[in-house]
Amino acid sequence: MTINNSFAQTIRSIFTDGGALLFCIVVPLVYPVLYSLIYNRENVREVPVTVVDECRSPISRDYIRRLDATADVRVTGHAPDMLTAQEGIKKRDVYGIVRIPSDFHDALMQGRQTHVQCYCDMSGMLYYKAILTANTDVSLAMNAEVKVADLGGNPVAMASGINGGTAEQRGVLQHPVRYEAVSLFNAQSGFASFLIPAVLVLVIQQTMLLGIGLLAGTRRERGVRTSTELGALSTLTGVALAFIAVYIPVSAYVLCVVPAMFDLPQIGSLWHLAMLMLPFLVAVFNLGITVATLPRHRETIFLLVVFTSVPLLFLTGVSWPGAAMPDFWRYFAMIFPSTHGANAYIRIYAMGATLADVRHEYLMLWALAAFYAFTAWLSVRFVFMKKRTENAGHAVETAEI
Amino acid sequence: MFRIFLRELRRLATTPLCWFMLVGGPLFCAILLTTMMQDGLPSDLPVGMVDMDRTSTSRNLSRNIDAFQICRVSGHYASVSEARKAMQRGEIYAFYYIPEGTTRKLQAQQQPIVSFYTNPQYLVAASLTYKDMRMMSELMGGAATRSVLKARGVGNEQLMGMLQPIVIDCHPISNPSLNYNVYLSNILLPGVFSLFFLFMTVYGIGLEIKENTADELMLSAAIDGRMTSLGTAFRALFGKLAAQGLVMHLVSWLLMAYLYGVLHFPCQCGLPVMLLIASLFVVASQGMGVLMICALPGLRMGLSFASLWGVISFSICGMSFPAMAMPEWVQGLTVLFPLRHYYLLYVNCALDGYPILNVWPFALALVGFALLPLLFVRRFGRIMLHTAYAP
Repeated sequence: MTINNSFAQTIRSIFTDGGALLFCIVVPLVYPVLYSLIYNRENVREVPVTVVDECRSPISRDYIRRLDATADVRVTGHAPDMLTAQEGIKKRDVYGIVRIPSDFHDALMQGRQTHVQCYCDMSGMLYYKAILTANTDVSLAMNAEVKVADLGGNPVAMASGINGGTAEQRGVLQHPVRYEAVSLFNAQSGFASFLIPAVLVLVIQQTMLLGIGLLAGTRRERGVRTSTELGALSTLTGVALAFIAVYIPVSAYVLCVVPAMFDLPQIGSLWHLAMLMLPFLVAVFNLGITVATLPRHRETIFLLVVFTSVPLLFLTGVSWPGAAMPDFWRYFAMIFPSTHGANAYIRIYAMGATLADVRHEYLMLWALAAFYAFTAWLSVRFVFMKKRTENAGHAVETAEI
Repeated sequence: MFRIFLRELRRLATTPLCWFMLVGGPLFCAILLTTMMQDGLPSDLPVGMVDMDRTSTSRNLSRNIDAFQICRVSGHYASVSEARKAMQRGEIYAFYYIPEGTTRKLQAQQQPIVSFYTNPQYLVAASLTYKDMRMMSELMGGAATRSVLKARGVGNEQLMGMLQPIVIDCHPISNPSLNYNVYLSNILLPGVFSLFFLFMTVYGIGLEIKENTADELMLSAAIDGRMTSLGTAFRALFGKLAAQGLVMHLVSWLLMAYLYGVLHFPCQCGLPVMLLIASLFVVASQGMGVLMICALPGLRMGLSFASLWGVISFSICGMSFPAMAMPEWVQGLTVLFPLRHYYLLYVNCALDGYPILNVWPFALALVGFALLPLLFVRRFGRIMLHTAYAP
């Protein structure tokens, strides 16, 4: 079969085969949108907490008011004691308890330390983060005020000799050093902006693997025939060109249109992204041929590919930091195009890096493309030889894609 | 029915793919995820320093950041732009910037400003480094106030009450070390197992059609001699499910024993209750599997359905991103996913240690999923007898 024929035939089968159409076109269109809808609110806000105010003084009520005013936490109830407050956790009405000790007011007046207790539900790290952040913010703000407040002979104010000092002096005492925390690239620390880009790259890889596997399986089960080994090579080239031709618009939609639809970070250069996607798509295609040729039944590809989505997402090192991964898994992760693809895509498109900044990933993708081209050739040849021995003396039939 | 059960066990044992789906694949994932996060909390994440001040104070600050558990100062950069470039190259997760004149201003009481930059494109690393760097910045201010107060003759006991009057004591319930392995593996692994079980159920039924063994199956189930009767279909379906379920139970229990017995993840309710919950989850997954293959006859469509459903479960169960922050209509959909119920049962029993009756609706929901096959017995019989495989 010539390259032209095989190209045209593959394009036709992608659009006529139900399974291939579903995974190469429909899933890339719909799945990223679905994921973005789930995560699109970016942050968890107004986590409900219960307060146990054992002090009941104006200053403890001030603490509670400020806590309620933060974006992260909402005070939904007051409990008389811890036992009652725990009922709220038990019913999952609240995700945390804030307990203000009975000596809260006295300690502040006398210049002693006082401890506010926060109990956080650990079913999700985001609850914990919200409750801790809100309480830390409120306590730091109040600490700064307590330092200079004229609380009838506040020891700090007296010791520092600024009782009745100027506003500037008070300011210096409150914050001898000022600090600024800057979140780069994902300014709101949003969950969608963080997770979706890695998911997008995985969607491209996994759907292409499934698409190749399904088409290969169908052809094999229906016994499509080509005549020679050379024919196999040109057929394969045609199939590769067809898949890449389909996946260029698909990738453009998944990697550029979806982030635009959901306001995910997108500050990168399209040209650099396009340059990156070339080795990525080639590497994924070759990997696809390598895996797809092996199983006998077309359905088997689901079983081999789908479950890997979750482990592969973790292996990218985007959620669990790559620097904290055991070496063995870090090297293991390198054999998958998604690892390099996801990191390079995030750095180029969400963080504004150039192709030179992702040199390592870019070169690794070409290396993988070459390596998997070799394995793809091996596995096509393996099937080819097997068929030939099976059909010895008859017309040669190959079972490659 | 026992004959079907034995026949199915034989099929499972002789098909390598079934070994992969029921044993090899799930166990591989269990090992991968738990060993990947074996540290519990990441430590020594590389961060950069941009020290334009170059005094003993600023160098001390850099050493202190390095001494924190999470951060490791992996490089010093000449400017903020260079540090930002290093971040874009993926070399550091965050960096700390001390401008020129910080020490001089500090001593002259002119309120110098320092800053730190985190990168929430890597959210976990960003939250953790942020926490350490913020703490460091607070301590820096505290140290300055302390030397002023000490110079004025304030004693050590009084000092802390002045530097930090209100202290926040945080108590993460049941996971005091913020172990991410506990937080993630406890849900991700049952989720992956359930994905395999969905596949196995769909595949087990679909393969009968594909390999033209459906007639034979129905024949051996037809003890009353009528292949089309409801009883025959019932025996065939549940015989198969029982055999598969037996293996799934063993594998799931193995996972529970590994998580709570070997890794000692918090399990306030005791292992038996988690084994019960794992069993409920297994039969619920089987129920969903039967629904998938019967609603969409054909192995291919059934497996596609299982793939899409199973993979979205991980996001929609609300484990990583809370359901309360999802759009309302998505919140409503979460009940359709067994993993969501499993997650809530696990949190209630293993993590918080409340009795399972406290969350009986979720247990009931899993039972509901498990009963789904009863609705499809007739349809199962028809599919087995009348559907031909189309590649």
